[in-house]
Amino acid sequence: MKYGLTLAPSGLDPHLNASAELGIPLSSVYDTLVFRDPDSGDVIPGLAESWKVSPDGLIYSFQLRSDVHFHDGTAFDADAVRENIAYVTDPDNHSQKAASLLGPLAEVSVLGPYQVAFQLSEPYAPLLDSLSQVYLGMASPSALRQWGPAEYQFHQVGTGPYKFIEYIPNEHIVLERNEDYNWGPSIYTHRQATIDRIEFRFFENEATRSIALESGQVDVIGEVPFREAERLASSSRFVLVPVPIPGQPMQFFLNTKRAPTDDPLVRQALTLAVNRPGIVETLFGSTSPPAFGPLSAALFEPLLPETHPEYDPAQASQLLEQAGWIDLDGDGIREKNGQDLKLVLVTPTWGANPEAAQLIDVSWEILGANVEVVTAPAFGPLKELQASGEYHAIGLNFFGTDPDLLRPSFTSDGYYNWSQIDDPELDQRLTAAANETNDTAARTALYQSTIERINTSYLVLPVRDYINLVVARSDLTGLRFSLQGWFPFLIDLEFSS
Amino acid sequence: MVPVLDRPRIQLLIVISRRLIEGLLTAWAAVTLTFFALRIAGGDPVANLLSQGLATVEQAAALRQQLGLDRSLGSQYLVFLGNLLHGHFGQSLYTARPVGRIIFEQLPYTMALAISGLLIALVLGFSLGVLAAWRDRRLDGKTASFIANVSTALPVAFTGILILYLALRISIATGQPMASPGFFLPSIVLGIASMGPIGRVVQSGLRESLQSEYILAARARGIRNGFRLLWHAIRPALPPVISLVALEAAYLFSGTVVTETVFSRPGLGRLLVKSILEGDFPIAQALVVLAALFYTFSHILADLAAILLDPRRRRSG
Repeated sequence: MKYGLTLAPSGLDPHLNASAELGIPLSSVYDTLVFRDPDSGDVIPGLAESWKVSPDGLIYSFQLRSDVHFHDGTAFDADAVRENIAYVTDPDNHSQKAASLLGPLAEVSVLGPYQVAFQLSEPYAPLLDSLSQVYLGMASPSALRQWGPAEYQFHQVGTGPYKFIEYIPNEHIVLERNEDYNWGPSIYTHRQATIDRIEFRFFENEATRSIALESGQVDVIGEVPFREAERLASSSRFVLVPVPIPGQPMQFFLNTKRAPTDDPLVRQALTLAVNRPGIVETLFGSTSPPAFGPLSAALFEPLLPETHPEYDPAQASQLLEQAGWIDLDGDGIREKNGQDLKLVLVTPTWGANPEAAQLIDVSWEILGANVEVVTAPAFGPLKELQASGEYHAIGLNFFGTDPDLLRPSFTSDGYYNWSQIDDPELDQRLTAAANETNDTAARTALYQSTIERINTSYLVLPVRDYINLVVARSDLTGLRFSLQGWFPFLIDLEFSS
Repeated sequence: MVPVLDRPRIQLLIVISRRLIEGLLTAWAAVTLTFFALRIAGGDPVANLLSQGLATVEQAAALRQQLGLDRSLGSQYLVFLGNLLHGHFGQSLYTARPVGRIIFEQLPYTMALAISGLLIALVLGFSLGVLAAWRDRRLDGKTASFIANVSTALPVAFTGILILYLALRISIATGQPMASPGFFLPSIVLGIASMGPIGRVVQSGLRESLQSEYILAARARGIRNGFRLLWHAIRPALPPVISLVALEAAYLFSGTVVTETVFSRPGLGRLLVKSILEGDFPIAQALVVLAALFYTFSHILADLAAILLDPRRRRSG
């Protein structure tokens, strides 16, 4: 079987690198201590049979399975867990994601051959979600030691349903069935993989993805542009599987530190002036839902308020007048104290951000603003533009399966606080929610009130919840995805013919 | 006092060493420009590295220090130049792998594609050029000239997608699944892209020499054989063609970005673009140094070839 990937990752070690693309093959090479049920969101046993959280939320102790071994024959035990975490947290290894997922982890101690405890310096509710992710998948400690951080990515050894056979950068990744596998989590339908060998190839150019599928170079591929996806799905040879990706929607942060968006009335007006359902319809057809909060409806629906501001250009115009922005000289641009209403909108070039930014630009021009759209070709330049502070709106979003995702974006000292918000109330609630390990209802309530506050302060302009359009041959069955949305359960794939 | 007989060889040495010094200076200038341009326009590499994570400000600061990026730009530059002089290109920021190894893993893919693309371009370009000049008043000559002009103007991205699409149609029509387009199709795309300029230079050089006095004289002496006449006419037309081919070769070797992306092939071009976009400076810098050295090297070869083909240059230096 051949699986089409869309980005060639710069590094393939999930413990050290951060790309979502690497998880598509590697989620089946590694097992994690726990898994999350994609339907209910519940945390379920994986390599850990059971776990306990101490009442103060500082110690997570795991009872591990004793019948598991790695693809190289090494037995899986408590020492293996400790070595994995040591590898991820070693500052010399420059982990880009896994280390952050561990939050305030202080120490991992081995309590017995199959018992291990994670000791935290402060309570950290997202820990179990973190441990369910491929970035903290359990690797063979002997392989980690043998190859080291630079070369391990080419020689990965896990306990999962597929063995890692070969990786040639930019060319392909090859996996083969693990015939010993019988310790899969309950969310896998099969106990063993059916397909013997899977080759992954990279199709970075959007225009070539449907060609790859139609010409039989791949059997399944993700991130197909929506028109192509609809065209392919109309033929009986292919099926379209839309996969919602939980996390932050496509969104533009509104800068609260720079005039005129420092005025909440202006931020509200700019939000009401944008026809989000219209934009989403134009850019993504019927494939994506419009977004109305700082988190996606997928997975986080219970945290979002039931009502949200509708598109209302008349009220937007009134709000601006109330804020003192009136077009006195009749040139189509509003002024206040002799200053034109000028807005700088910064957009990343990836995804459909530039197209969305153009349509937002038009809405704001109609409202009477003079808008300059600036594009950033990569994350570095985007961060540079952000650091200059000279913007009113800037596009950025992250995916994730724990609402703690909000903390870096909306706390005053957050690394991604791009609306430049400094609100003690938000700081306090987001920290309290991250520390709330025992009372799920209290944690939910904290996030509900946080999101309500983010929405009513108009800190972001959300646009669209992300849907990954995966197209597959119609005789390929069992295509299901993990809670994160990107990662297929390769073990359950079968050809029906 | 140098014996008169040795003079051409010395001239040759002078030409080569001048080219070498120029090349080293070019490489130094290119790498210095790249170093500062990437750091000024490319943004913060640490931000790039953490762009998928949920890092805190403290984690970002720690990583910056670990990578030595908290030092001043000037001192980073000196460290970098010092390492370069010892042949160390450094490590990728993303994987801690030696940059040299990363590049040499991707090199064979680009080499294979560049060589086959260049061969195709040479065969097609020469055929078009000769045809266009030899029969410039007839339909076939005019067609050849037209094709050379069009292929010069077509962007690689366009021919790439077009050829992929044609291959798809053929695979659907014949019911054969298309194997990975790997090698053959992208070589053709590159060949088409480079044949145009080669064809045009061959055509103009040949046209000029066909009208020169010595060819008229040869004709007057009764040399009627087309191939012999062509051989006489084409030699003086060759030096500019060789310079052009050297340029095209350097261009192809230093990365065929678009072709590699369209055909999802590994190679240096994609490596370069990716490392620039992701702020993996050590890789981008090493590739620029190598490209500069390669340009220098191919220019020296082209000069040598031109000197060997044209004895007058040996005397004049």
